[in-house]
Amino acid sequence: MLTYNIFDDVLELRNLVDNFFRDVPSRGASRDYPYIDLYETDAGLQISAILAGVKPEDVSVELVNNSIIIEGEKKSDYTEHPYIRKEREFGRFKKSVKLPYRVDAGNVQAAMKDGILTVKLTKSEDAKPKRIEIH
Amino acid sequence: MATKRMKDNYCEECMIVPVADIYETDDAYSLKLEMPGVKKENLEITMNDNELEISGKIQKDETNGKNLKYSEYELFDYYRSFRVGNDIDRNSIKAELDNGILTLTLHKSEEVKPRKIQITAS
Repeated sequence: MLTYNIFDDVLELRNLVDNFFRDVPSRGASRDYPYIDLYETDAGLQISAILAGVKPEDVSVELVNNSIIIEGEKKSDYTEHPYIRKEREFGRFKKSVKLPYRVDAGNVQAAMKDGILTVKLTKSEDAKPKRIEIH
Repeated sequence: MATKRMKDNYCEECMIVPVADIYETDDAYSLKLEMPGVKKENLEITMNDNELEISGKIQKDETNGKNLKYSEYELFDYYRSFRVGNDIDRNSIKAELDNGILTLTLHKSEEVKPRKIQITAS
Protein backbone atom coordinates (compact mmCIF):
# COMPACT_ATOMS: atom_id res chain seq x y z
CA MET A 1 0.00 0.00 0.00
CA LEU A 2 1.14 3.49 -0.81
CA THR A 3 1.38 5.94 2.01
CA TYR A 4 0.31 9.43 1.29
CA ASN A 5 3.24 11.76 1.39
CA ILE A 6 2.59 15.44 1.24
CA PHE A 7 5.98 16.04 -0.37
CA ASP A 8 4.90 14.07 -3.44
CA ASP A 9 2.40 16.79 -4.22
CA VAL A 10 5.01 19.45 -3.66
CA LEU A 11 7.45 17.72 -6.02
CA GLU A 12 4.69 17.24 -8.56
CA LEU A 13 4.06 20.95 -8.54
CA ARG A 14 7.75 21.66 -8.92
CA ASN A 15 7.91 19.37 -11.98
CA LEU A 16 4.88 21.06 -13.44
CA VAL A 17 6.49 24.47 -13.17
CA ASP A 18 9.85 23.15 -14.41
CA ASN A 19 8.30 21.52 -17.47
CA PHE A 20 6.28 24.60 -18.21
CA PHE A 21 9.33 26.82 -18.36
CA ARG A 22 11.38 24.20 -20.17
CA ASP A 23 8.78 23.95 -22.91
CA VAL A 24 7.89 27.60 -23.28
CA PRO A 25 10.84 29.29 -25.04
CA SER A 26 11.06 27.05 -28.09
CA ARG A 27 7.64 25.44 -28.20
CA GLY A 28 5.64 28.62 -28.20
CA ALA A 29 3.44 29.93 -30.94
CA SER A 30 6.26 31.93 -32.48
CA ARG A 31 8.00 28.98 -34.10
CA ASP A 32 7.91 28.90 -37.88
CA TYR A 33 7.41 25.94 -40.09
CA PRO A 34 9.34 23.65 -40.48
CA TYR A 35 10.00 22.67 -36.88
CA ILE A 36 13.60 21.85 -36.15
CA ASP A 37 15.74 20.18 -33.54
CA LEU A 38 19.38 21.17 -33.13
CA TYR A 39 21.87 18.63 -31.83
CA GLU A 40 25.50 18.88 -30.99
CA THR A 41 27.57 15.89 -32.06
CA ASP A 42 31.24 15.03 -31.71
CA ALA A 43 31.99 16.44 -35.15
CA GLY A 44 29.81 19.50 -34.99
CA LEU A 45 26.12 20.23 -35.34
CA GLN A 46 23.13 18.38 -36.67
CA ILE A 47 19.82 19.98 -37.57
CA SER A 48 16.75 17.89 -38.25
CA ALA A 49 13.61 19.40 -39.72
CA ILE A 50 10.16 17.89 -40.18
CA LEU A 51 9.37 18.04 -43.88
CA ALA A 52 6.83 15.30 -44.48
CA GLY A 53 5.62 15.13 -48.05
CA VAL A 54 8.18 17.60 -49.38
CA LYS A 55 10.24 16.35 -52.28
CA PRO A 56 14.02 16.72 -51.88
CA GLU A 57 14.17 18.72 -55.13
CA ASP A 58 11.75 21.28 -53.67
CA VAL A 59 13.98 22.10 -50.70
CA SER A 60 17.07 24.27 -50.61
CA VAL A 61 19.52 24.47 -47.75
CA GLU A 62 21.86 27.44 -47.64
CA LEU A 63 24.61 28.47 -45.30
CA VAL A 64 24.57 32.25 -45.10
CA ASN A 65 26.54 34.25 -42.58
CA ASN A 66 26.60 31.68 -39.81
CA SER A 67 22.94 30.78 -40.32
CA ILE A 68 21.32 27.84 -42.05
CA ILE A 69 18.38 28.79 -44.22
CA ILE A 70 15.92 26.06 -45.08
CA GLU A 71 13.61 27.14 -47.84
CA GLY A 72 11.21 25.41 -50.14
CA GLU A 73 7.70 24.50 -51.03
CA LYS A 74 5.42 21.76 -49.93
CA LYS A 75 3.43 21.21 -53.08
CA SER A 76 -0.20 20.40 -52.68
CA ASP A 77 -1.25 16.93 -53.75
CA TYR A 78 -4.94 17.73 -53.89
CA THR A 79 -6.99 15.94 -56.48
CA GLU A 80 -10.20 16.83 -58.25
CA HIS A 81 -12.17 14.39 -56.18
CA PRO A 82 -14.49 15.35 -53.33
CA TYR A 83 -12.75 15.54 -49.96
CA ILE A 84 -14.14 14.13 -46.74
CA ARG A 85 -11.29 15.49 -44.62
CA LYS A 86 -8.71 18.15 -45.34
CA GLU A 87 -6.34 18.54 -42.42
CA ARG A 88 -2.94 18.78 -44.06
CA GLU A 89 -1.34 22.07 -44.95
CA PHE A 90 0.74 23.06 -47.94
CA GLY A 91 2.67 26.05 -49.13
CA ARG A 92 6.00 27.80 -49.19
CA PHE A 93 8.24 27.91 -46.16
CA LYS A 94 11.46 29.58 -45.12
CA LYS A 95 13.32 29.24 -41.89
CA SER A 96 16.61 30.56 -40.69
CA VAL A 97 18.53 28.85 -37.90
CA LYS A 98 21.29 30.79 -36.20
CA LEU A 99 24.26 28.57 -35.49
CA PRO A 100 26.05 28.79 -32.15
CA TYR A 101 29.51 28.81 -33.73
CA ARG A 102 31.27 28.99 -37.09
CA VAL A 103 31.01 25.89 -39.25
CA ASP A 104 33.06 24.57 -42.13
CA ALA A 105 31.23 25.87 -45.22
CA GLY A 106 32.82 23.27 -47.46
CA ASN A 107 31.58 20.35 -45.40
CA VAL A 108 27.80 20.51 -45.18
CA GLN A 109 25.75 17.39 -45.74
CA ALA A 110 21.99 17.31 -46.18
CA ALA A 111 19.83 14.24 -46.52
CA MET A 112 16.12 13.54 -46.56
CA LYS A 113 14.69 10.36 -45.08
CA ASP A 114 11.18 9.38 -43.95
CA GLY A 115 10.05 12.99 -44.25
CA ILE A 116 12.84 14.35 -42.06
CA LEU A 117 15.62 16.54 -43.38
CA THR A 118 18.97 16.13 -41.66
CA VAL A 119 21.73 18.69 -42.11
CA LYS A 120 25.16 17.82 -40.76
CA LEU A 121 27.68 20.57 -40.14
CA THR A 122 31.23 20.34 -38.91
CA LYS A 123 32.82 22.81 -36.59
CA SER A 124 35.14 25.23 -38.33
CA GLU A 125 38.83 25.14 -37.42
CA ASP A 126 38.57 28.85 -36.53
CA ALA A 127 35.98 28.08 -33.87
CA LYS A 128 38.08 25.45 -32.11
CA PRO A 129 40.12 26.49 -29.13
CA LYS A 130 43.73 27.27 -29.98
CA ARG A 131 46.70 27.06 -27.70
CA ILE A 132 48.94 30.05 -27.90
CA GLU A 133 52.61 29.50 -27.28
CA ILE A 134 54.31 31.88 -24.92
CA HIS A 135 57.85 32.74 -25.89
CA MET B 1 -4.58 17.70 -15.15
CA ALA B 2 -2.90 14.53 -16.19
CA THR B 3 0.79 14.44 -15.54
CA LYS B 4 3.09 12.85 -18.05
CA ARG B 5 4.71 9.61 -17.08
CA MET B 6 8.34 10.20 -17.87
CA LYS B 7 11.03 7.61 -18.36
CA ASP B 8 14.56 8.81 -19.07
CA ASN B 9 13.05 12.19 -19.83
CA TYR B 10 10.81 10.64 -22.48
CA CYS B 11 7.06 10.73 -22.21
CA GLU B 12 5.84 7.16 -22.54
CA GLU B 13 2.17 7.91 -22.85
CA CYS B 14 2.47 10.71 -25.37
CA MET B 15 1.44 10.04 -28.93
CA ILE B 16 0.82 11.98 -32.06
CA VAL B 17 -2.44 11.83 -33.97
CA PRO B 18 -1.32 12.21 -37.58
CA VAL B 19 -3.23 14.72 -39.71
CA ALA B 20 -5.10 13.20 -42.61
CA ASP B 21 -6.64 14.03 -45.95
CA ILE B 22 -9.39 11.74 -47.19
CA TYR B 23 -10.97 11.83 -50.61
CA GLU B 24 -13.37 9.68 -52.48
CA THR B 25 -13.18 8.47 -56.02
CA ASP B 26 -15.63 6.32 -57.94
CA ASP B 27 -14.08 3.07 -56.84
CA ALA B 28 -12.03 3.84 -53.73
CA TYR B 29 -11.37 6.02 -50.70
CA SER B 30 -7.88 7.49 -50.41
CA LEU B 31 -6.29 8.45 -47.13
CA LYS B 32 -3.10 10.44 -46.79
CA LEU B 33 -1.54 10.67 -43.34
CA GLU B 34 1.54 12.60 -42.30
CA MET B 35 3.83 10.42 -40.25
CA PRO B 36 7.36 11.77 -40.48
CA GLY B 37 10.08 9.65 -38.92
CA VAL B 38 8.30 6.31 -39.21
CA LYS B 39 9.99 3.48 -41.06
CA LYS B 40 8.02 0.99 -43.13
CA GLU B 41 8.79 -1.90 -40.79
CA ASN B 42 7.49 -0.01 -37.74
CA LEU B 43 4.12 0.72 -39.26
CA GLU B 44 1.09 -1.37 -38.43
CA ILE B 45 -2.26 -1.14 -40.15
CA THR B 46 -5.10 -3.33 -38.93
CA MET B 47 -8.71 -3.66 -39.91
CA ASN B 48 -10.91 -4.88 -37.12
CA ASP B 49 -14.71 -4.67 -36.93
CA ASN B 50 -15.15 -1.60 -39.12
CA GLU B 51 -12.24 0.04 -37.30
CA LEU B 52 -9.17 0.89 -39.32
CA GLU B 53 -6.23 1.36 -36.98
CA ILE B 54 -2.94 2.89 -37.99
CA SER B 55 -0.02 2.91 -35.61
CA GLY B 56 3.59 3.80 -36.21
CA LYS B 57 6.47 3.38 -33.80
CA ILE B 58 9.32 5.83 -33.55
CA GLN B 59 12.80 4.51 -32.88
CA LYS B 60 14.38 6.56 -30.15
CA ASP B 61 17.85 5.05 -30.02
CA GLU B 62 18.92 7.23 -32.93
CA THR B 63 19.46 10.21 -30.66
CA ASN B 64 22.26 8.42 -28.79
CA GLY B 65 25.61 10.16 -28.79
CA LYS B 66 23.96 13.44 -29.66
CA ASN B 67 23.28 16.30 -27.39
CA LEU B 68 20.01 18.14 -27.90
CA LYS B 69 20.68 21.87 -27.78
CA TYR B 70 17.48 23.41 -29.08
CA SER B 71 14.18 21.74 -29.73
CA GLU B 72 10.95 22.67 -31.42
CA TYR B 73 9.56 19.20 -31.90
CA GLU B 74 9.65 15.79 -30.35
CA LEU B 75 8.61 12.63 -32.12
CA PHE B 76 6.26 10.20 -30.45
CA ASP B 77 4.52 7.07 -31.62
CA TYR B 78 1.66 7.70 -34.01
CA TYR B 79 -1.85 6.38 -33.62
CA ARG B 80 -5.12 7.07 -35.33
CA SER B 81 -8.23 5.06 -35.99
CA PHE B 82 -11.05 5.53 -38.44
CA ARG B 83 -14.47 3.96 -38.62
CA VAL B 84 -15.20 2.63 -42.04
CA GLY B 85 -18.48 1.56 -43.56
CA ASN B 86 -19.44 -1.77 -44.99
CA ASP B 87 -18.79 -0.57 -48.50
CA ILE B 88 -15.05 -1.28 -48.22
CA ASP B 89 -13.47 -4.35 -49.72
CA ARG B 90 -11.35 -5.48 -46.76
CA ASN B 91 -9.10 -7.71 -48.82
CA SER B 92 -7.77 -5.07 -51.14
CA ILE B 93 -6.48 -2.29 -48.92
CA LYS B 94 -3.28 -0.84 -50.28
CA ALA B 95 -0.71 1.05 -48.22
CA GLU B 96 2.25 3.05 -49.42
CA LEU B 97 4.78 5.01 -47.39
CA ASP B 98 6.72 7.72 -49.16
CA ASN B 99 8.73 10.52 -47.60
CA GLY B 100 6.76 10.50 -44.37
CA ILE B 101 3.36 10.34 -46.04
CA LEU B 102 1.30 7.18 -45.69
CA THR B 103 -1.20 6.68 -48.49
CA LEU B 104 -3.95 4.16 -47.96
CA THR B 105 -6.28 3.09 -50.72
CA LEU B 106 -9.49 1.47 -49.57
CA HIS B 107 -11.26 -0.02 -52.55
CA LYS B 108 -15.00 -0.05 -52.52
CA SER B 109 -16.63 -3.41 -52.74
CA GLU B 110 -18.14 -4.42 -56.05
CA GLU B 111 -21.73 -4.03 -54.88
CA VAL B 112 -21.52 -0.30 -54.24
CA LYS B 113 -19.52 0.78 -57.27
CA PRO B 114 -21.42 2.92 -59.73
CA ARG B 115 -22.72 0.81 -62.48
CA LYS B 116 -24.18 1.56 -65.83
CA ILE B 117 -27.53 -0.07 -66.33
CA GLN B 118 -28.14 -1.39 -69.72
CA ILE B 119 -31.53 -0.62 -71.15
CA THR B 120 -32.99 -3.40 -73.09
CA ALA B 121 -35.43 -2.55 -75.79
CA SER B 122 -38.64 -4.40 -75.45
